[in-house]
Amino acid sequence: MSTPGGEVVGIALLSLKIALAATVLACLLGIPLGFFLGWTRFAGRRVLLALLNTALALPTVVIGLLIYLLLARRGPLGALGMLYTWQAIVVAEVVLALPIATALSAAAIQAVDPRVRRTALTLGAGTLRTAWTVAREARFTLLAGVVVAFGRVLSEVGAALMVGGNVRHETRTLTTAITLATSQGEFGLAVALGLVLLALALTVSVVIQLLQGHGDV
Amino acid sequence: MATFDVAALRQEFAGRTALALDALSVREGARLAVVGPNGAGKSTLLRLLAFVDTPSAGVIALDGHRVDSASARRAARQRVTLVEQRPYLFRGTVLGNVAYGLRARGVRASEAAERAGAALARLRLREFAGRDTRALSEGEIQRVAVARALALEPVALLLDEPVSGADRAAHHALFEALAAEQARRPLTIVFASHLLEDAYRWADELLALHQGRASPVTPENLFRVDLPGGAPMQTVTVGPLALEVVTDRQGPATLAIPPDEIVLSTEALHSSARNVLRGRVVRVAEHGAAMRVTLDAGIELVALITRKSFEEMGLTVGSTAFASFKSVAVRVF
Repeated sequence: MSTPGGEVVGIALLSLKIALAATVLACLLGIPLGFFLGWTRFAGRRVLLALLNTALALPTVVIGLLIYLLLARRGPLGALGMLYTWQAIVVAEVVLALPIATALSAAAIQAVDPRVRRTALTLGAGTLRTAWTVAREARFTLLAGVVVAFGRVLSEVGAALMVGGNVRHETRTLTTAITLATSQGEFGLAVALGLVLLALALTVSVVIQLLQGHGDV
Repeated sequence: MATFDVAALRQEFAGRTALALDALSVREGARLAVVGPNGAGKSTLLRLLAFVDTPSAGVIALDGHRVDSASARRAARQRVTLVEQRPYLFRGTVLGNVAYGLRARGVRASEAAERAGAALARLRLREFAGRDTRALSEGEIQRVAVARALALEPVALLLDEPVSGADRAAHHALFEALAAEQARRPLTIVFASHLLEDAYRWADELLALHQGRASPVTPENLFRVDLPGGAPMQTVTVGPLALEVVTDRQGPATLAIPPDEIVLSTEALHSSARNVLRGRVVRVAEHGAAMRVTLDAGIELVALITRKSFEEMGLTVGSTAFASFKSVAVRVF
């Protein structure tokens, strides 16, 4: 297998696109859900949090299998024709990142000083403004959660391989390309792709560091 | 007209009564000090008066209107504000914090900034407007929090231990600013303090709390004891001392020795007083025409004596003195 530089760039860009789309979708769902879990007190909340923490450890191949069965031609969503498309990888990565975004957001909200809510109330803020204020105070921790979710989906391989199929120019991501190159003995290429992935992961780590430095989280 | 009228107010946490107040009326423009040791229920009362917490039972009326529903509490919070013991400043600038409540009331950003700036100026904090709140000292945080509360021009300002540090100049500056605010417009102030000096100096009304209830005596010279019982004249252990008291009670009780029942002398008195304690003067404070002298006699005792007696005895901090009081002067409840 010979991959010109242009193809590597294409693979890297596709990986970024999938990771960004999955992170945005997972966070759009997960942050409000996490906020709700961290903010409110209701019966069964602890059980939900425990389930969520279990979901964090869900093997990615299990998620891949689940999404595969859903999207397969004879599956419940087979009519969508999504299997072996980059969108299918996004769906699997959203399922993977959702518990991370939710659990970290819940933890971020729970960690906010209880005085924030009381202070907002004593200053006459309504429920919405109070909630917004709490989220603002937690913003750096919330952002760190977003970045962790992004890093997780960027480096994921099992589900991407199962539902994406590693189709050249269409669903081949950095991680699946590395898997393929390694299986074909193209270690030079695998290492090169690995370095690109590492560079992206390093960027993610630097962003976290910057956020933490800025926000004292 | 009373700003607050409280009736049969109770607050319970996990089955424990934190506050049980039969009645309290705070007139408009009052400066009420709520005094008592830690855990007496001061913060609980303030949070209820701020309508941040919901009472387990009872009702609070604000300006004659009962505040007994969530919507009434929300409306009342627009008119009353609380500065907590350890105030929290939101991330961002000092000005942003002081403008917060105004913005919550729908005031336009430019007007809110202007009014916030004026509130900061009243507490001599104008130059702090652009500072990051995380760069402030504890004392500065407290002053900014007071400015943030005053910017709202509330009908009542509640302050929980407004000056917890040892900075006497900061105490003075804060209370001066509050007095100036009261001179400017009608404002009821309720502040909780464990420092009786502050209460006597600044308040015109006093509510002493003890174990969640209004106490008939100020919380000076209060001691938890275990009464042995057996005879009306009992000897009880208070710290390293043995005091004589007259009571029929037995078991756990609180002793109160009224400061004006304590006679101070430079030599031990031979009198009818059954309790004579030798100690060292540790604090002296003016209290109107009288002096409040705190004596460390193994336990701290506050005695109230006239300025003339104080001067004639030549007492200073560090002097040795004797405190004498009759066993019948010791109140037991």
